[in-house]
Amino acid sequence: MSRYIIRRIFSVIPTLIGVTFVIFMFQRLIPGDPAVAMLGEHATEESVERLREQFGLNRPLFLDREALAKGDIAGFFDSQYIRYMNRLVHLDMGESIHRRIPVLETLKIRFPATIELAFFAMFIAIIIGIPTGIISAANRNTPIDSISMIGSLVGVSMPIFWLGLMEIMLFAVMLQWLPAGGRISVGIEIESITNLYLVDSVLTANWVGFKDASEHIILPAIALATIPMGIIARMTRSSMLDVLQEDYIRTAKAKGLGRSLVLFRHALKNASLPVVTIVGLQMGTLLAGAVLTETIFSWPGIGRWVYDGILGRDYPIVQGGTLVIAFVFIGVNFFVDIMYAFLDPRIRYN
Amino acid sequence: MAEITTEEITVTDFAVREHRSLWVDAWRRLASSNTARLGMFIVAFFILSTTFSHFFWEYEPKKDLNYSLKLKPPTLIPNEEVPSVHPFGTDKLGRDIFRRVVHGGWNSLRVGIVAVSISLFFGGLTGLFTGFYENIDTTHIERLVLFGLTGLVLGSLSAWVAAQPIQAIFFAILGVIAAYFKNFQKGKALRMVVFTIAGALIGAILGAFVSGAAALISLIWGAITGALLSRPLDGKFFSNVMMRLMDIILSFPGYLLAIAIVAFLGPGLEKGMIAIGVVGIPVYARLTRSAVLSVSQKEYILAAQSVGEGHGRIIFRHITPNILSPIIVQTTMGLAGAILSAAALGFLGLGAIPPEPEWGAMLGDSYRYLTSGAWWAVLFPGLAIMFSVLGFNLLGDGLRDALDPKLRT
Repeated sequence: MSRYIIRRIFSVIPTLIGVTFVIFMFQRLIPGDPAVAMLGEHATEESVERLREQFGLNRPLFLDREALAKGDIAGFFDSQYIRYMNRLVHLDMGESIHRRIPVLETLKIRFPATIELAFFAMFIAIIIGIPTGIISAANRNTPIDSISMIGSLVGVSMPIFWLGLMEIMLFAVMLQWLPAGGRISVGIEIESITNLYLVDSVLTANWVGFKDASEHIILPAIALATIPMGIIARMTRSSMLDVLQEDYIRTAKAKGLGRSLVLFRHALKNASLPVVTIVGLQMGTLLAGAVLTETIFSWPGIGRWVYDGILGRDYPIVQGGTLVIAFVFIGVNFFVDIMYAFLDPRIRYN
Repeated sequence: MAEITTEEITVTDFAVREHRSLWVDAWRRLASSNTARLGMFIVAFFILSTTFSHFFWEYEPKKDLNYSLKLKPPTLIPNEEVPSVHPFGTDKLGRDIFRRVVHGGWNSLRVGIVAVSISLFFGGLTGLFTGFYENIDTTHIERLVLFGLTGLVLGSLSAWVAAQPIQAIFFAILGVIAAYFKNFQKGKALRMVVFTIAGALIGAILGAFVSGAAALISLIWGAITGALLSRPLDGKFFSNVMMRLMDIILSFPGYLLAIAIVAFLGPGLEKGMIAIGVVGIPVYARLTRSAVLSVSQKEYILAAQSVGEGHGRIIFRHITPNILSPIIVQTTMGLAGAILSAAALGFLGLGAIPPEPEWGAMLGDSYRYLTSGAWWAVLFPGLAIMFSVLGFNLLGDGLRDALDPKLRT
């Protein structure tokens, strides 16, 4: 097992380096001069030049060929990319161009918001998706099966931004049951420990805050849960159907075990492997931030933040945010791979 | 008692069935499934209605403007306030939403189709080649190309660094030599030493013309290149490199990567197509590759090899037809996904440029008016997205059952 993990770690490293490379390159390829963006259109040539010097923006992107031609090896490696990697190793992601707030500081507030939303959404997706899949498989080719499978296909086909808008219209505008957006109401304070509002409010026994935070999270979480819910239900169904055809299920039925016992004890356990995988992969996607859901519900998460950064040409935000998103994504997939190998020993030896 | 004559008895030989091709069989299975029929109906409805309206129902988005009819709810019977019929209501500029939804379909579906074609073409080819060469022995010429290209790619880095294009050519030649003398000291340490020194010498001598530092850097890089070229590189190496590249694209969440690409290219429908297409490449590459891997060890491939058919012919004549089923299914489902992504980009204002109608952009235009009660401006474009995506998904599901009865569950 440990050999397998080590092998996987080694195969992940080039991907990680490649990701930093791509992110760095993308930033510099996008039209627009960051120094001008920082100072505004009317800045003098001189001050722009000074800023370039200060942030190293006047250095070559990857390697300095002119320094090499002059025989200066240290200067050769003194490039924007190497400086960027060097800062990254020291966990310095720079500061926002427009707001002058360190990227890492904002990340500490923004990322928990995304984590909270992702876990809540995944919770909803699992508690509805898995039972739906099981019921469908157990009642194969009945109207119940057709309805729940078409239902989950509708879920997969749903434009979630549209669903979110419809939710706002129904629950926030017409019925006025739940707030239309944001993470918490104005005037309600939650002492920040982990920056996960639901967890923090429970830890500090702040029940008013807990109620308010849960009211805010329900609508975006439902919108975000729709697609994973459909995927999980379909995966559970097809995996259960595979397992239900196995000989040992027939044996279990033949020796007179009850239907629910066969279904849950014999079938579900063995059908859970692909479901666990798909849950993990979907979790990776959710943690990567949901630009659309976060936009519609004004949820202060990481997806929306990076999107605004791209539109505002705020390079450090885009670099830092995308990097964290990509690393989390790779990390979750890595974890899923390891879990899979742990649960299914055949993988390890392949 | 009736007489039975021999003419009345039709003999059915159950052992000899009417000949049906694989595709006819699949079509019958497809047509017999209710959900697939529903999917086909929805898809046909959207394709026909948008195509017909595009060609036969004129619409000029740039001239469509009528402030007196701003944000009117759906009206089927003309009245004093709204003198014309608007089954889906009107939007913030008084434009008929029904008309824009019908015409918007042309753009939305087009984005989907072009984007999927891009992903399918590049991803499919990558998957075909990586899958095929993963465990097939390379021919002599292929090895020459592989080694030459490896030398060229690695050499061009050092050539770029030292601003000396000639280096790339020298390293490519070194690669070709390594491939040509593949049996020289095969698998022995001596081979590695020889090629490492050769690479280092090429780098150092050429680099020395530029500067001492350049010579040093080129020497180190040349040694690494030479060492790599001394290894028995094969199809598996090529396959690994390509799949790592795909992994890098895959490690960015799709939407964010698409947004970044559009930010780079600038907004517009065509840019959206490219962005969504690029994001989809690794999906098709992986799928095609695994499909190729599953057939490339089959007997008929071995047979084709043993009668001396070329690799290109094997790939396109023997492998491609046999991996079509999963790719057709993925393409159908991929169309659904691409339409959804196109709508998302449009919603964020990165797709169609206004006033061009597109479902996602229509939603993005109108959602601010939701709080003032204009639900119709948001409901109908959204329904159009949902139903078209659902149609492709249903069809894809049906195709999966029809094309691969083994997978049928």
